[in-house]
Amino acid sequence: MEQHDIIPVVSLLAVLMPLLSFVLCMFFVPKSISGKVAVSSIAVSFIASCFVFFKIWNAGNIHIQHHWFTLGQTSWDVGLLLNNLSALMILLVSGIAFLVHIYSLAYMKGDENIDRYWGYLSLFCSSMLGLVIADNLLLIYIFWELVGFSSYLLIGFWRTRDAAVQANKKAFIMNRLGDLGFLLALMILYSQFGTLDIEKLFGDGGLFHLSQFTSGEWIAPLGHISYVWLLVCGFGFVFGALAKSAQFPLHTWLPDAMEGPTAVSSLIHAATMVAAGVFLLVRVSPIFDSTVLITIAVIGIFTAFMASTIALVQNDIKRILAYSTISQLGFMMLAIGIGNNGAAIFHLATHAFFKCLLFLCAGSVIHEMHYAKNKLDADCDHQDIRNMGGLRKMMPLTFVTMVIAALALCGIPLTSGYLSKDAILISSFEWATTRSFAAKLIPYLAMLTSWLTTFYIARLIFKVFYGELRIQGDKTERLIHEAPRFMLMPQLFLAVCSAFFLFSVNPLSYENTWLLKVFPGSVALERIHSYHTVIPALLNLFAVLIIYFAYIQYARKEKAMFRENTWLYNFALNGWYFDEFYHQAIVRPVTYVSKFSFSIDRKVIDGLVDIVGKSGVLLSSIAGWLDRKLIDGFVNLAGRAAAGLGNFFRSFQSGRIQYYLAVMIFVVLTFFVLRYFSPAI
Amino acid sequence: MIPLSNFMMLSAALFVIGLYAVLVKRNVIQLLIGIEFMINAALINFVAAGKSDKNYMGGQMTALFTIVIAAASVAVALAIILNVYKYYKSIDPDKLNKLRD
Repeated sequence: MEQHDIIPVVSLLAVLMPLLSFVLCMFFVPKSISGKVAVSSIAVSFIASCFVFFKIWNAGNIHIQHHWFTLGQTSWDVGLLLNNLSALMILLVSGIAFLVHIYSLAYMKGDENIDRYWGYLSLFCSSMLGLVIADNLLLIYIFWELVGFSSYLLIGFWRTRDAAVQANKKAFIMNRLGDLGFLLALMILYSQFGTLDIEKLFGDGGLFHLSQFTSGEWIAPLGHISYVWLLVCGFGFVFGALAKSAQFPLHTWLPDAMEGPTAVSSLIHAATMVAAGVFLLVRVSPIFDSTVLITIAVIGIFTAFMASTIALVQNDIKRILAYSTISQLGFMMLAIGIGNNGAAIFHLATHAFFKCLLFLCAGSVIHEMHYAKNKLDADCDHQDIRNMGGLRKMMPLTFVTMVIAALALCGIPLTSGYLSKDAILISSFEWATTRSFAAKLIPYLAMLTSWLTTFYIARLIFKVFYGELRIQGDKTERLIHEAPRFMLMPQLFLAVCSAFFLFSVNPLSYENTWLLKVFPGSVALERIHSYHTVIPALLNLFAVLIIYFAYIQYARKEKAMFRENTWLYNFALNGWYFDEFYHQAIVRPVTYVSKFSFSIDRKVIDGLVDIVGKSGVLLSSIAGWLDRKLIDGFVNLAGRAAAGLGNFFRSFQSGRIQYYLAVMIFVVLTFFVLRYFSPAI
Repeated sequence: MIPLSNFMMLSAALFVIGLYAVLVKRNVIQLLIGIEFMINAALINFVAAGKSDKNYMGGQMTALFTIVIAAASVAVALAIILNVYKYYKSIDPDKLNKLRD
């Protein structure tokens, strides 16, 4: 029992340490030690997460609650829900965050706003960790927003760059669109069940399982509404997840988000935050009916395919990886869509490691290229893979780690990616056997996407690390060297984590993976033996061929197999023109409407106000005139009369004695004369 | 026997001369002289009226008494004039106008 008391406290510690670091970095500690504060807090958080993981994994859930507030009759609780899923996520998030923090020590060294960077990064870690252990959908929503907000802050970290500011605005607005769906789903759930507690809703014998569906009606303990609302609720969650996980049609923010520092892209936009959408869908998965599930699967596979075709032709190293992330998240969505949540979470975990590693390696390459560019004073884009080449001799360790990550991404045996990708692919084939013809296309498309993935990542590796360096300068070879120690250590560690043995003892079969065994649903599908050998073999055979083609094309450059000016090439290069389309279809009308309403505001509303104001001025000027001329006129007249009278009498006071005497005599004489002629007085 | 009206005519003429001096002279001393004229005009009336009071000589007595007082008051007035002259360096009554508004 004692352990049950201590585990929630420890997991709370894991959430609160980064929050503390955020407060300290932003407001209290000096710039120079802010990095140390952030790294040590995330280290504590990581150790706490390890403890929680080993206590919780396969050892039963812990769900504790504390009264939060009362609204009317309803009482709200705040609490922690620690089960296998949240234990895995808390370990994954804090582990990768820890590595990225160490990496950032070197990568962000010397940045003038470094304290802000550490503060934002800590805020992100805290909200992400809070998101995975929250027991309540409302609480998840709050952390969801916080995660989006800290992502916004970090994308726009270099705030003097216009592109970064545009990108963070775009990311924030698109995420807000998704949040709308999330909120809608929450409102429907609340009106139906009167609670948003995950355990109460979806746990064993939870409220959701009590609801009945009869003749197009959804009968729940509190509500009785049309079945359509169940679909709306499901799609609401899906829409929220689409925005956070950058899926079609809300995917366009993620490539632009690469304007942030590479370490941030690695942590947030590859490994953790974008996985929050997948995490949410797994948490609320009981609510999806078959319509919603098939939609998720279709969106997932479409996004995976689309993003991989775009990644084929991009030239910015980070944008390739960004589209690759979108594509891999599409695979996770596909896994959820076919009801294999375990595979989705498994791929989420393996992808977190190898994609984080890819980004960190790309960061190292960019770091060195940037350094060389500044030294040579060259005018070129240091993130453009067309300017790179031959880096394997100068950065051997980065090369090796990146190749391991790339192999994991391709799903080559002995890597973790092989296991998780096969889990998704094979179960999608198994799923499709009982479905219609259109549904059978999905696994084939997934396979094709997987080959496309192999090609674009091979292209990236060969262009960056093979051939000759294309940046001009005499001593370029000596300028570029291996990344600093703090950047290499996380890379090496992640490379080890990208290998199979972390997840399964058998490198060729995913079925023995410890991670999959605890998730229900992953074994529910009927096992078809032939798939388990044919598909991986086929996949890898072609993958090796594709790598070889890529080698000929990009490393040896014997002949160019693909022309680079066809319309298909341009179509992919411009990201299927989604940005263009959104700009024309949404941004421009919205701008137009705002301008229109602005002009109405200025002309009509302001005009009315102006008229009122002007008539007021006119009235008051009339009143002022009256006041000045009429009222003041009377007062002035009285004053002047008094003054005139006073002056008249004053003129007698001349101070001349003789004058006074003369007047006196005159008066006396007058008196006597009057007395004389009128004896009546 | 000189009739009373002759005295009164003389007194009135003397009074008017004094009054004239008081009103028009540009010298305070001359003003004072005008005042003396007027006092003496009044005294002539007293003396003339005293003629019909042979038992008590009230008019003459009052005249004598008044002459003494007038002499004293002239002394005071001259002292004031001296002080005024010290202060204003002038005894023109038109210039002694510090009391005006």
